[in-house]
Amino acid sequence: MPELLAALSPQDWQAILLTLKLCLYTTLILLLLGTPLAWWLSLSHSKLRTAVQAIVALPLVLPPTVLGFYLLLLLGPHGVVGGALEQLGLNHLAFSFSGILIGSVIYSLPFTVQPLLESFRRMGPRPLEVAATLGAGKLDQLFSVVLPLCRGGFIIAATLTFAHTLGEFGVILMLGGSIPGETQVLSVLIYDHTEAMNYAQAQQLSLGLVISAFAVLFIVYGLNRRFEREAAL
Amino acid sequence: MNNVISLFHRTARQGKPTLAAGQRAVPPAPAAPSVPAAPESAGLTLALTIQRGDFSLQINNTLPLQGVTALFGRSGCGKTTLLRAIAGLDRHAGATVQCGAAIWQQGSHFVPVHQRRIGMVFQESSLLPHLTVAQNLLYGFNRLAKHTPIQLQPEQVMQLLELTPLLQQAPEQLSGGQRQRVALGRALLSQPQLLLLDEPLASLDQQSRSEILPFLQRIASQTGIPMLLVSHQLDDVVKLADNLVLMQHGGIHSQGPLQQQLLQPELAAIGAMSLLHAKSSGSKHHLLQLSIGQQQLQLPAPLHADTASYSPTSYRLRIQARDVALSLTPLNDSSVSNQLQVSISGINPAPHPAETLVQLTLEGQPLQALLTKQSVERLELQIGQQVYAQIKAVALD
Repeated sequence: MPELLAALSPQDWQAILLTLKLCLYTTLILLLLGTPLAWWLSLSHSKLRTAVQAIVALPLVLPPTVLGFYLLLLLGPHGVVGGALEQLGLNHLAFSFSGILIGSVIYSLPFTVQPLLESFRRMGPRPLEVAATLGAGKLDQLFSVVLPLCRGGFIIAATLTFAHTLGEFGVILMLGGSIPGETQVLSVLIYDHTEAMNYAQAQQLSLGLVISAFAVLFIVYGLNRRFEREAAL
Repeated sequence: MNNVISLFHRTARQGKPTLAAGQRAVPPAPAAPSVPAAPESAGLTLALTIQRGDFSLQINNTLPLQGVTALFGRSGCGKTTLLRAIAGLDRHAGATVQCGAAIWQQGSHFVPVHQRRIGMVFQESSLLPHLTVAQNLLYGFNRLAKHTPIQLQPEQVMQLLELTPLLQQAPEQLSGGQRQRVALGRALLSQPQLLLLDEPLASLDQQSRSEILPFLQRIASQTGIPMLLVSHQLDDVVKLADNLVLMQHGGIHSQGPLQQQLLQPELAAIGAMSLLHAKSSGSKHHLLQLSIGQQQLQLPAPLHADTASYSPTSYRLRIQARDVALSLTPLNDSSVSNQLQVSISGINPAPHPAETLVQLTLEGQPLQALLTKQSVERLELQIGQQVYAQIKAVALD
C-alpha cells in the first residue's frame, strides 16, 4: 500500500483533491436544491409535476455528451449565460471549475431527488400535520420531524450523489476539458494517462476508484437495509 | 346489560369546570390586525361549501363551544372533512371558521394550523416515532407562545391519563390504547382552546376502547376544554357527548343537546335510547339513591375505586328503549324495582314493522320505550295518558 501511494505523482494528487472537492460541493449544493424540489414533488398534484419529474430524470437517459454539449453552448463565451458574464466583465464558465460544478449538479440531480422523494413519500403527510397542530411552523417541522424521520433518505441521497459525481466523465470532458487543478478530475486524468500509454498510472487510479466506489455502494446498500428495517417497525 | 360501565361524576360537566375554574376567560387568540374585530361569539361559527365529484358538503352553522359536541353521521358524510377545515389542515376557498372571538379563516385571511390553539387527536396512532413518550407529550408544550396561559401542567396531564409509567418508552412499544392516551395528553398539553377528536377510538379493539373511554370522560369533566368528537359509533357518542350534531346528506341535519337529539328518528333507527339526568343522594346498602324530579330510583352502586373518595352528585343514565316496559297501574308483584310515573307524549312507528316507539315525559325529561304494536293496542295507549314505566336496565355515567 505505501508503495502504491508513493508512486502517485503530484498531478495525481491534484486530481484526487479536485475530484473530492467537486464531489463535496456537488453533494452540498444538491442537498440544498434537491430537498425543496423533492418535497414539492412529493406533495404536488399539478400537471407540472410530471414534467418536472421527467426533466429531473433526463440525465439518467441522455448521453453525458449531449448534456455537456448544451452546457458548453450555454456557459461558453458565446452562450446566454457565459456571454452575459463576459459582458459584466467576468469570465465565462466553460473550462472552469465553476462550469463543471454546474454540470455535475445537473448530472447528479436524479441521484439526490429520487431517494429523498422516496423517503418523503414513505413518511407521508401525517407526522407533519401532527406537528402543525402542536404549534410547529414549516421550518420547525423540517428540523424536528422531516430530518429525523427521513434521515435514511438524506444519507442515501448524499452518498449516491457523491459516488455518482466521482464517476462523472463525459460532461466534464465536454465542458471542462482537462486543465490540471481546474477541471482535470480523476476520470479525466485516467483517460489522459491511457491516451499517453501510461498504463501503470491509469491502473493505480482506476483500481483506487473501483475500491472506493465499491466501499461507498456497500455502505449505501447496508444503510438502505437498516432504514428499511427501521421503517418496518 | 352492562349495568355499570364506568362511573364518573358529572358535577363538573354541568357546573363549573374544576381544573380551569376561574381561568376560562381565555384571552382571544391574536387575530391579524388587518381583520376587523369580530363580534363576540361563544360558538364555533362555520361556513363552508365543498363540491368534489360525488362528494359535497355545505355547512353554515354555529356549533357550541362547551362540553363535548359529537359530530355524528355515516362514514363519508363529511365529518372528518369538516374537522380538518376547522383545524386548518385543509384550506377551502371561501370558507369561514371563527372560534369564539378568534377568526381563523375568512376571505383571504387564514391562520395557519400551527397558530390555531387547537389540540387534535387523529384516528390512528400519530405519535412521532422518533421521539419517546415524554418527548411526544412535551412537543406542543415546548412550542407554546410565551403569553399562552398554562391551564394544564405536564404533571397534571400525566396523572390524569396515567402516563407516568410510560414516559421513557418508544411509541412502538405501546399498545393501541396507550398510544391514543399519549396522543390525547400531547394534545391537552398544547393548551388548546378547542380539542378536536377524529374518531379517536375507531382504530382500537373493544378492550382498548373501554380502557380509553373513561379517560375521555375524565378530560371532559375535569379540564373544561370544549371538545368536538367525530364518531360514527352511537355508543361512544352517548357515553361522552353533551351535544350532538347529526350530519347527513352533505350537511348538518340537526344539532342540539344529546338528550333531545336522541329523539330524532334518524338516531332512533340506529338504536332508540334515552338519556336521563339524575341527582344522587348517596348510596344505602350498596344501592345508589337517585332522584329525577320528585321520583326515586335505586341502582346497584358502582364498585369503582373512585367512588370511595368522592360521591358524585349527578349522573347520566342511559336507557335503551328496549329496556323500558309500560303498565297502566303500578306493578307490585314484579322484580323490576325501578318504576316511574310518566306521561305519553308521542306514539311513533319504529324501524321494525311489528314495533312502536312510545315517547314519554318523565319530570320534563324525555324517555323512549320500544313496545310491540300489539301491546300498544292492547293497553289502548293514548297521547297524554299517565302510565308507569318499568326500567329493566340502566347504564350509568
